[in-house]
Amino acid sequence: MEPNTFTQRYLELGGKAPLFELPESIRVNTAKITAEELIERLWQKGVHLEKIPFVKNGFYVRQSRMSVSALQEHLQGFYYIHEAASQIPAEVLNPGKTDLVLDCCAAPGGKTTQMALNAKAVVALESQHNRVPALINNIERLGIKNIIVCNTDARMFEPEIKFDKILVDAPCSGNYITDTRWFRKQKLENFKQRSALQKEILANIVNCLSDEGELVYSTCSLEPEEDEMVIDWAIKSLGMKAVEISCLGDKGIISPFGEELDKGVENCRRLWPFKAKTQGFFIAKLVRA
Amino acid sequence: MSFEVFAGKFTGKNPDYVKMGSKYFLAGPLLVALSKQLGHSIVSLGLFLGEEKAGKFMPSLALLEILSVASEEKVFVNGIGEIDFLYNKGLKSRHIVAVKGSSKEGFMKLIQNEHDENLGYGKISRELGSDKAEIANLLDRGDFIRREKD
Repeated sequence: MEPNTFTQRYLELGGKAPLFELPESIRVNTAKITAEELIERLWQKGVHLEKIPFVKNGFYVRQSRMSVSALQEHLQGFYYIHEAASQIPAEVLNPGKTDLVLDCCAAPGGKTTQMALNAKAVVALESQHNRVPALINNIERLGIKNIIVCNTDARMFEPEIKFDKILVDAPCSGNYITDTRWFRKQKLENFKQRSALQKEILANIVNCLSDEGELVYSTCSLEPEEDEMVIDWAIKSLGMKAVEISCLGDKGIISPFGEELDKGVENCRRLWPFKAKTQGFFIAKLVRA
Repeated sequence: MSFEVFAGKFTGKNPDYVKMGSKYFLAGPLLVALSKQLGHSIVSLGLFLGEEKAGKFMPSLALLEILSVASEEKVFVNGIGEIDFLYNKGLKSRHIVAVKGSSKEGFMKLIQNEHDENLGYGKISRELGSDKAEIANLLDRGDFIRREKD
């Protein structure tokens, strides 16, 4: 589709799509080092970090003479190169020491390893065989000991147990901030296909949630078909309820393109890049109604 | 060489492990019990410690890091040595700032930076202590980057 088509779509949703360069950001792996120690270590190497105000252990890389992916501290697993908005879903899910967590679409493992720091254990599902090595490498590099990885499609997952917290960071069409050719590559049909997949994942995965459990659904898409409309469907078809969350972002859109969605969808959060200065993102928290 | 023999070259205390096929993992009782209730294709259980390939044990970098905490078989390198080693190069006498344990040819050593952080491991190819000392690189943490490119 032409960029203008999206500009029009986003205007209708109350947004816009100016281009800007996403600042590089990292998340401190507190299993291995404190934020203060890492700031000092990297400062000595000419790398200047600035706290991301809306996440606990995230920092923008404000100055660096070399790629932060090549630094010894990265190889030691002291941090994970992690986009700022992408650090939010794990914080919204906020697992505690007694929580058994399911991460449905886990590779490359940024959110998985983030949740594992506080959880009792994390079961990480990844359906794509070729994405599993990156997930296991990151677990090894960060030295995280409480993650089980299954090469399994979340739509087919039928364990004997229930989970206290579930993250569905769903496969999505992405957004224009992280892919300069995004506008040219996307069609409305893609969003509908992704939406169908996202609903299939949710339909199966809610069966794995304990009665009092919480499920966070997130995408890096700005398209309502993959965001608010999926949550509206989960409310109406799966007996779920979207609960209020407090994090960066605008309220969910309840009347996209003239369609009226459940009012609870407003409890979701939508991160427009032009406002949040992050990539496009969407986050919802669901519980049983 | 088995897991136990490999670990025994660096420390008297082997980490507990769980074996899945040819792979070794560090996993507590909770993860082991959980794994039995999942009923799905588990490819990693806790922390990957290494793998047997053609009868030979290949350690993971996580295992080397664990062993390095209690090991007496270490070589400490300077900043240049650290960079060279992480680029998959061997070490020369000019890189080495201190040696713990054996200095004899053929011994395996854990390679540590000046913060005592493990960088990998190597094998002494020329006895340490002289200006001709050499350590061959067997595995280093730069492998995390090289794997992603493969």
